[in-house]
Amino acid sequence: MARIRGKAKKAEIMTLEEAVKKYMHNGIQIAFSGFTGFNRNPMAFAWEVVRQKFKDLHVIDRHGSCCTWLLNTVGAIKVYETDWMGWGEMAGKLDINMERIYKAGKIILEDYSHGAMAMRFLAGAIGAPFIPYYAPLGSDLYNVDYDALGKAGQRSGKNPRIPKKKFIQIEEPFFGDGEVVLLPAARPELAVIHVSKVGDKGTARWRGVGTIDKEIAFACDKVVITAEEVVPEGEMRKDPEANQIPFFTVDAIVEVPWGAFPSGVPFYYDYDAPFMREMDKASRNVDDLKKWLDEWVFAPKNWEDFVVKLGARKLLSLKADSTTGYSTKMMRGKNPAPRMKMPLSVARSGY
Amino acid sequence: MAKSMEQLMELIDKMPDEKAKAGEFILPELMAIAIAHEVLNDDVVFAGTGLPMVGIMAANMLNAPNAVLIYESGICDGKTMHVPMSVSDQRAANMCSTLGGLVDTFGYYLQQGFVTLGFLGGAAIDKYGGVNVTSIGDYYAPAHRFTGSGGNSDIGTMAKRTAYIILQEKRRFLERNDYTTTPGWWCWDFKTREWKPKKEVWKGTPYQDCGPCGVVTNMGVYRFDEKGIIYLETLHPGITVEKVKENCGFDLNVSKVKGETPNPTYKELFVLREFVDPELIFLPAKTEYPAAIKSIIG
Repeated sequence: MARIRGKAKKAEIMTLEEAVKKYMHNGIQIAFSGFTGFNRNPMAFAWEVVRQKFKDLHVIDRHGSCCTWLLNTVGAIKVYETDWMGWGEMAGKLDINMERIYKAGKIILEDYSHGAMAMRFLAGAIGAPFIPYYAPLGSDLYNVDYDALGKAGQRSGKNPRIPKKKFIQIEEPFFGDGEVVLLPAARPELAVIHVSKVGDKGTARWRGVGTIDKEIAFACDKVVITAEEVVPEGEMRKDPEANQIPFFTVDAIVEVPWGAFPSGVPFYYDYDAPFMREMDKASRNVDDLKKWLDEWVFAPKNWEDFVVKLGARKLLSLKADSTTGYSTKMMRGKNPAPRMKMPLSVARSGY
Repeated sequence: MAKSMEQLMELIDKMPDEKAKAGEFILPELMAIAIAHEVLNDDVVFAGTGLPMVGIMAANMLNAPNAVLIYESGICDGKTMHVPMSVSDQRAANMCSTLGGLVDTFGYYLQQGFVTLGFLGGAAIDKYGGVNVTSIGDYYAPAHRFTGSGGNSDIGTMAKRTAYIILQEKRRFLERNDYTTTPGWWCWDFKTREWKPKKEVWKGTPYQDCGPCGVVTNMGVYRFDEKGIIYLETLHPGITVEKVKENCGFDLNVSKVKGETPNPTYKELFVLREFVDPELIFLPAKTEYPAAIKSIIG
């Protein structure tokens, strides 16, 4: 919802522990940055949320990620409103814990499509209450019988962040372009966005894909930026076309190097496919999962301690090179990556 | 001694265009190349992760070097050197034209009508090409819960044509899906609660003629007739019509079978193995080349 403000926000620099303590509460509606488990997941933040034991979260997001995977390991998510319930694509498609919790009736899943979630956040970002979108008419996604939040009695209007309807289908009234679906805006309370670089006043940038992070930053009431590095704001202003998040949307800035691990931050470090496969393996058995959580979440004293535990060898294998933005040293499959100078498709298309 | 990528690149045009023989390749390679053959040189392709991505990358290096590859996280015309494990992998963004986000890919490109070919996976498919990637059984108490739509339903309904890759089993090839995530040529009209042709439900929208054009499975390649009903077009080598029918949950039209799915050529296999997925991320193993090919490689 458009929030008419009397004065500009002023971003505050704080520690990870402080940011989680200040901005989280049980039952919060929250959105995370990145794309699946591979790109710019604010993992350190989610990790600290689990350690501080916040629960009953309503995650509204473009899809699952390392963050939702971790939150589901302890059953911290109560409502999961998204379009893709997996988390790691080729490293562990379906979130096994989520499926387990879902079958036990402990989580509400509300399905949309990927484009629909993007459009909902776009509407939220520009202060529009809803947005028309065509896809996918005739899908059970837009079958009124399959409205999980409605079935759970949560569309009464009591919670102002939950729309009274999942969607409305209308006849396009201006041009006569057939039937179209109106989707309600996404209006979460908190956005947590991991970026490569943020100025100390809040102007933020990433390299690589944008997914819907800019839309999320504008759609949410409060924005926490976690970053690989915090630099003087003036540095960010030298190259403003490379920035995506304007400083006045930001509430808190947290410097947390390797804060997206095991997802990647283009031009900083790659995703850790072997580590993600271990996460997926651990999640298939309750005892293994408990061991994994004890070892990787509860035993480290803080995130820095977690990174130290990963070890220099691993970090070296993930370090991105400055030309491609990713690492060719990590073993993603059965063979090492070949050294390439030019994509074959470019060599053969002749430019 | 191992060859450099530059040396391997020079060998591509020396590879014969002749079809490989049974035993010289594995099924995922045949399927990846069958996908590649769907891609035309002037296509704008929007593909999902997994074998579809491997197939379109192969197409981009073989039969369709000018095809534009869109990756849904915001990448326009990525020119990859290393196969991405996710559509948000920085590898997919290599040398791309522009880099944006989901509003770009689903709004500016897809809903705006630029995408000519979608290539997607699915857990189950109905005889009209409707795809289920959501759940089996009762939606609220499913026997199996899958990941859900992702971009499947957007791409599958708004790209001019869409091809699917699906594992063929009786429980996955159905008269009607338990849950239709991505409508095929027939779908529900929820206003009247009638099962209707997509053309009628989507009438007046720019997407009324968009829909499934083909399905590649582990047993064959399928097309859709003028009524929007799936039929078998080719059988993969060693597969019989009887075996396909045993693995299909409805009365399949097999009257239009044209023969066998072509085996990949040595050139196609060489590009797929040495350039698309030499790391063996998607392809499970690398079959040894026959002596004649080995002697070309040297």
